Amino acid sequence: MQVRSIRTNAFAVLLVAGFIFLPIYQAAAQDKAAAPATAPQAKPTIAKICTNCHSAEPGNLRGYFEGVAYKSQSIQLKIDDVTEVLQFDKSTLKVLNVQAENPDEPLRSIKKGKDVRITYTEKDGKKFATLVSAKPPIKVAPEKMIGTADVEKLVAQGPEKGKYLLIDARPAPRFMDGAIPTAINIPFPAFEKMVDKLPKDKGALIIYYCAGVT
Amino acid sequence: MSPNSAGRAEKLGYTNVKVYHEGLPVWTKKNNTILSTLFLKDAWIDKGIPHILLDVRPGSVAEKGFIKGAVAMATKDVAVNIAKFPPKDMKPPIMIYDQNGGDDAKAAAKALVAAGYTAVNVVTGGFDAWTAAKYPVESGKLAANIVYVPKPRPGEIPFDEFKKIAAATPADTLILDVRNTDEGNAGMIKGAKLVPDEEILNRLAEIPKDKQIIAHCSTGTRAEMAYHKLKEKGYNVKFLNAKVDIAKDGSFKLEKP
Repeated sequence: MQVRSIRTNAFAVLLVAGFIFLPIYQAAAQDKAAAPATAPQAKPTIAKICTNCHSAEPGNLRGYFEGVAYKSQSIQLKIDDVTEVLQFDKSTLKVLNVQAENPDEPLRSIKKGKDVRITYTEKDGKKFATLVSAKPPIKVAPEKMIGTADVEKLVAQGPEKGKYLLIDARPAPRFMDGAIPTAINIPFPAFEKMVDKLPKDKGALIIYYCAGVT
Repeated sequence: MSPNSAGRAEKLGYTNVKVYHEGLPVWTKKNNTILSTLFLKDAWIDKGIPHILLDVRPGSVAEKGFIKGAVAMATKDVAVNIAKFPPKDMKPPIMIYDQNGGDDAKAAAKALVAAGYTAVNVVTGGFDAWTAAKYPVESGKLAANIVYVPKPRPGEIPFDEFKKIAAATPADTLILDVRNTDEGNAGMIKGAKLVPDEEILNRLAEIPKDKQIIAHCSTGTRAEMAYHKLKEKGYNVKFLNAKVDIAKDGSFKLEKP
């Protein structure tokens, strides 16, 4: 039981972290707005979705990994609508949270679209990556997990007979592309706003899913 | 995002919250997903996002009224016609409808999932739901062949256009080979200029700004990066998203990446 309570606390920590960081980010955004516009067309350095937990940091980019060319030692990163291309030196580049199939070229093992943080230096308008860190998966305690076979069984029964509520936590446009049968959509950022969609019975089985281990 | 949501629900006092952590990537390997007629219309058809729309009803029924863009293929024919679909590695989104979102659409979806397609959707409520929503209906002959062209990436030049330019490069155009020098020495497209991708920003003076630049490499990856670098510097630039195999004499073969 002791173990369980610690794991439950992990959720609480995440939650608290979200609350703490959000105000900081908002404050930072206000500072920026108040500062004189030195670079009016400054490119974003952080993808919108990353701002749920992180804020913009100088010398760091947060976005989606698009691809790597080891032949020219370049990385392509997408930050919402903007594309950044960074050079790197494969002998000094640090790569974190990646299970490399080929230890000489670890960036090849990062899937396209994966959330990454890139630390870089800039010289003469050229960005040089020194570290690429893939977003580590959020840990979920084993007793809180439900597998594909069990979800399939429930979905086959339907929410009434199976007594469950299946919730797709992805953004609405992704849900509109196609979703698991019987699921409703409550995007994570809209949790508060849509809290009335949750069942009245606090003991009811609620199952959350999204685009996999993120 | 699901673990974070689960944590919040627990905070509210819910005691039986689970996370289906494998989520969609595993689900779609074994099962279809679904979408409503509203989502089919709004998120796909109206936006022109490439997809395959299958009408699995009998031809005689479908011809009286169907959804624009649908290809006719009866459920029983899906499994034997797998070769008519684009390769599964392209991960084409496939939307399937029958009369009422029933077993026919589900069976067709099952056959496609079994064949390795991972973006297979059944349209909830089928054609009946589509007409009930008063969405536009076409009648007459349905398309018999599946056509699926994935959306090009920004800056991509069509193969045909590239071949034309390579055969007779106009004075206002420059083919920029962004592979490395060794690769270039093994053979280059006639008239192309070699500036390795990693040297581009240091050698901008050698790349004419008054010409249209067409970047290529050996796989499309470096060419796309070159495209982004040059575009940011104000160039009129496109790139070839292709595997390019160049012989010593400059003749070349293109293949989809």
